[in-house]
Amino acid sequence: MTQRTEERLTAYAFIAPYLALFIAFLAAPVAYGLYISLHDWHVLGQSRPFVGLANYAALLQDDLFHRALMNTAYFALLTVIPGNAVSLLLALALNARVRGETLFKTLYYLPVVLSVAVTAIIWRWLYSTEFGIINHYLSLLGGPRPAWLNSPALAMPSLAVMSIWWGAGGNMLIYLAGLRGIPDEYYEAARMDGAGALARFRHVTLPLLRPALLFCLVMSLIGSSQVFGQSYILTGGGPHYSTLTVVLYMYQTGFSLYRMGYACAVAYVLFALVLGLTVIQYRLVAGRREDMAA
Amino acid sequence: MKAGRIALHLAMTAAAIAFVAPVAWMLVMSFLPESEIFQPVPHWWPEHPTWSNYLELWKRAEEAPVPRWFFNSALVAAVGTSSYLLLSSMAAYAFARLNFPGRDPLFFLILATLVIPGQVTIIPVFLILQRLGWFNTYYALIVQGLSGVFGVFLLRQFFLTIPRELEEAAVMDGCTRAAIYRRIILPIGKPAIATLGIFSFLGSWNDFMLPLIAVNENEMRTLPVGLMIFLGRYTMQYGLVMAAAVVATIPVIIIFLLFQRHIIRGVVLTGLKG
Repeated sequence: MTQRTEERLTAYAFIAPYLALFIAFLAAPVAYGLYISLHDWHVLGQSRPFVGLANYAALLQDDLFHRALMNTAYFALLTVIPGNAVSLLLALALNARVRGETLFKTLYYLPVVLSVAVTAIIWRWLYSTEFGIINHYLSLLGGPRPAWLNSPALAMPSLAVMSIWWGAGGNMLIYLAGLRGIPDEYYEAARMDGAGALARFRHVTLPLLRPALLFCLVMSLIGSSQVFGQSYILTGGGPHYSTLTVVLYMYQTGFSLYRMGYACAVAYVLFALVLGLTVIQYRLVAGRREDMAA
Repeated sequence: MKAGRIALHLAMTAAAIAFVAPVAWMLVMSFLPESEIFQPVPHWWPEHPTWSNYLELWKRAEEAPVPRWFFNSALVAAVGTSSYLLLSSMAAYAFARLNFPGRDPLFFLILATLVIPGQVTIIPVFLILQRLGWFNTYYALIVQGLSGVFGVFLLRQFFLTIPRELEEAAVMDGCTRAAIYRRIILPIGKPAIATLGIFSFLGSWNDFMLPLIAVNENEMRTLPVGLMIFLGRYTMQYGLVMAAAVVATIPVIIIFLLFQRHIIRGVVLTGLKG
């Protein structure tokens, strides 16, 4: 056997196991899902007729789907920028080289390792109208005792606050790495020019942090468009559909109503949205490279 | 200047309390007797700490098998992670080092699927698992995770940084490519493989959506979905619910504390590269 044949055979043998799983559980499902979305595919149905784009057309008229889209956009609005602001603030504080930095970093990151179920269990109790800590301290300050998760107006913001608490530590680490990468000389030079702390932040920190900011903002946006566990566990999409998200709607359509074709159409609309966001991110990052080249 | 430092320290401490207090409260509540739970004034410290919630958890194993869920989670995470590391590192080695027809287009195809959100394929994956007869089995809980693209991508990047001279010398000595993978690539790639392993384990332990659709028998549940059922069932026994949540959380906290550095470096590395 020549070396070349040995190399090829080894390569195929090394790739085959992974490739088989990749095809069966990733590539094939992508194509299969698209196929299903073009059919009236009821789990219990005898026949599964081809319906073309009818499922997608029906989505255009589906008020509940529109509601889910709006709710998901609302969740993104409530979490992406505020959440990244929290992460950036924490990173800026950590970057000031205070004593106990490692401990602070550990504590801020801690919630990230919890599962969504544990996070939901903790926060359900925090949000409890009668016995929750939040309402207890709120009423000590003379405030009201709102029913956080049972109020159509407050349920989504409550899930958003919980989600920011849960995830802020992740982006914080990325921002911190970005901040550490900014040479001290830049700040020194700005200081010599008489720039105050705020001016230094605006004219040194923010521009140099741009790649990290873009990355984190887009990844948060993509993540928030897929929000599921929080509302599934805590509110089931209610009250009055106020926390029904796109993925939750897909899940309910598929696994409670067994309308797989329609659910797959929802999934593909979500996919198109995420793809659009990814393309925008790519453009922005590419644009940034051109800036630097210019 | 000094006052500013103190203010910063105070603010950071306040933030630390905000991030940790909810977790600490879960722990405290799991030791509260029922009489102390439903109090108008929350107890930050148990007056009469008790193990009764944990004992009760054990006693109710018939109707809500938390120990079994724990076992399932551990099994799925351990088997899933070790298989994932083996399969991804093998494929990554081939993509990084071996020449074969179709290598680059194939890698590009695999890479392109990074943009597909997991939820998009959840329904077809469910139907495929059902057709394979794997619904309600450990296979269903494990196999889909092994198809993840990220490990191959990350390890390939890392393997590309290993100097080729080491392998060339080994080839001269008559080593096969498989032996090179085992004797050179794996030992040198250890840090990257370990980081991937930690994230894969945590991801599997905490995964919610796939286990939700892959099994529906109570005995086959993993902890996150099990906890949700538990919460629905024992809404009025929150000490018990908190004890179950603590049991589900202890392993990830231990892993986090042990491998903190790996985790922090991993987030930065994958975040900036992803």
